[in-house]
Amino acid sequence: MTTHTDPPEGAHADGDDERLPCGRPLSQVWDDRERRTDTPHLAGCPHCQGAVRDLEQLETAVRGLREETRETSAYDAEPLTRRVMDLVRLELRPGCPVPLGDPAEDLWIMETVAARALRSAAETVEGVRAGSCRVVDAAGAVAVRLDIHAPANAGLRQLAERVRQRVREAADRELGMVTASVDIRVTDLVDTRAEGREGDTA
Amino acid sequence: MTAHTPSAAQAGLVEDVARVVEGVPGVAFLKPGLAARLRSALSRPDAGTGRASIAGVRLTPGPDGTAGRHVDVQVVVVRGVRAVDVARAVRSAVEEHLAVRFPGGPGCRVTVTISGRV
Amino acid sequence: MAGARRPTAPPDTGEDTGDTLLVVRAAEGDEDAFAALVRAHAPALIRLATRLLGTPAEAEDAVQEAFLSAWRRLPEFHGQASFGTWMYRIVTNRCLNVLRARRPVAPLESAGEVPAAEHTTSPARITEARDAVRELREALDLLSAEQRACWVLRELDGRSYEFVADAVGISQDAVRARVFRARRCLTRALGAWR
Repeated sequence: MTTHTDPPEGAHADGDDERLPCGRPLSQVWDDRERRTDTPHLAGCPHCQGAVRDLEQLETAVRGLREETRETSAYDAEPLTRRVMDLVRLELRPGCPVPLGDPAEDLWIMETVAARALRSAAETVEGVRAGSCRVVDAAGAVAVRLDIHAPANAGLRQLAERVRQRVREAADRELGMVTASVDIRVTDLVDTRAEGREGDTA
Repeated sequence: MTAHTPSAAQAGLVEDVARVVEGVPGVAFLKPGLAARLRSALSRPDAGTGRASIAGVRLTPGPDGTAGRHVDVQVVVVRGVRAVDVARAVRSAVEEHLAVRFPGGPGCRVTVTISGRV
Repeated sequence: MAGARRPTAPPDTGEDTGDTLLVVRAAEGDEDAFAALVRAHAPALIRLATRLLGTPAEAEDAVQEAFLSAWRRLPEFHGQASFGTWMYRIVTNRCLNVLRARRPVAPLESAGEVPAAEHTTSPARITEARDAVRELREALDLLSAEQRACWVLRELDGRSYEFVADAVGISQDAVRARVFRARRCLTRALGAWR
């Protein structure tokens, strides 16, 4: 804030700043007020005091307006969510198809569709939250890479193996996708103790 | 341009194939917005590249109202049925339909892509 | 939802472990994950947009468009800020465009014949207070789009100058200047009824 700019010729109140009759810039007076800086000048100056009162009056109204518009918990997000999702579903996202069945069959599934099924499968393992899931064409079969958040107290190797198993099963039984490889990466450890207590997230 | 303008016969064929596909068990529906998108896809030259076609069924137009060399189908399937089985059933259904429609005609390649699962 | 919440994160735009997963998944096309994000963040964003635009109906439109825009841009969102902060910025800018497209409102005539308010009994004071809020709400229409945006974010949403500068895409000095001009315009508007 440039409180000491020289006003242009014929300065008027609509310029970048305004001077009170006592010579103080209005911006300075309000700045002091905002920072709760008391100046000796203020005590004896009715102009500055008037300016401060104006600001206080505004602040009272602002508090009222803030109160009026504060309540978010009453807002029902469902209708908006539905409308947004209707639009989202119409969007064409360039997608990548990956092979289903034998490579010679010319049958495909979009990566996002497969990923969704595989994430769900991973989350059937207790405490596991699935993150990024990439499914890519690997010479006619499919390579899966899945990131998970695992419970902090779990034996990670066994857990990853269980997740891998579920993913392979789902790929086979639900989709009919041939998986060449399934990589499970644990990208975060999650504290599953009672809510409200702080824990470490890696 | 004219070589790519689909004839009425082509349009009818696409709709037939679409109907056949939607009758296959396990198919929820063709890619969403089929009717509207079919119409718009048929009204302009086939400029689609790659597999992600807008219409649920796309035919590479062939000469003289034959089926063309390539049928591209995108479907949304239901859970509870193995995806690849539905895809195979769709392919069979389309191949059968084309064989009946164009007996003795040139073979057709049918590509099936599962674009959703509900 | 598993995961600890950092205690210093502001409630509206705080980074939530749960959010991170949802964002990654949504960026990869997981529509359910995106729906969860929409549901969680909509209330705060609607509040922001209502404060910026003045009416709930316009706020809904703006936030809806903002979410759609976010869906399209998600693949490029690499999490430099939290999803909430990112949405805040998108909504602010969308509302700015709406404000800029509005017809400018003619500034108030100077006070003139308006009688001074009387300090009387409580009921009148309460009415006065309510009137002041209404007058303030109307006076916001006098501000330029940029002044209004900066002022709302600073005064109603309580954001730091740094945050506002980042959300609107201007320098902190520019924010301060606009907040000052907004205050000046508003104090005058409120004063006109004194």
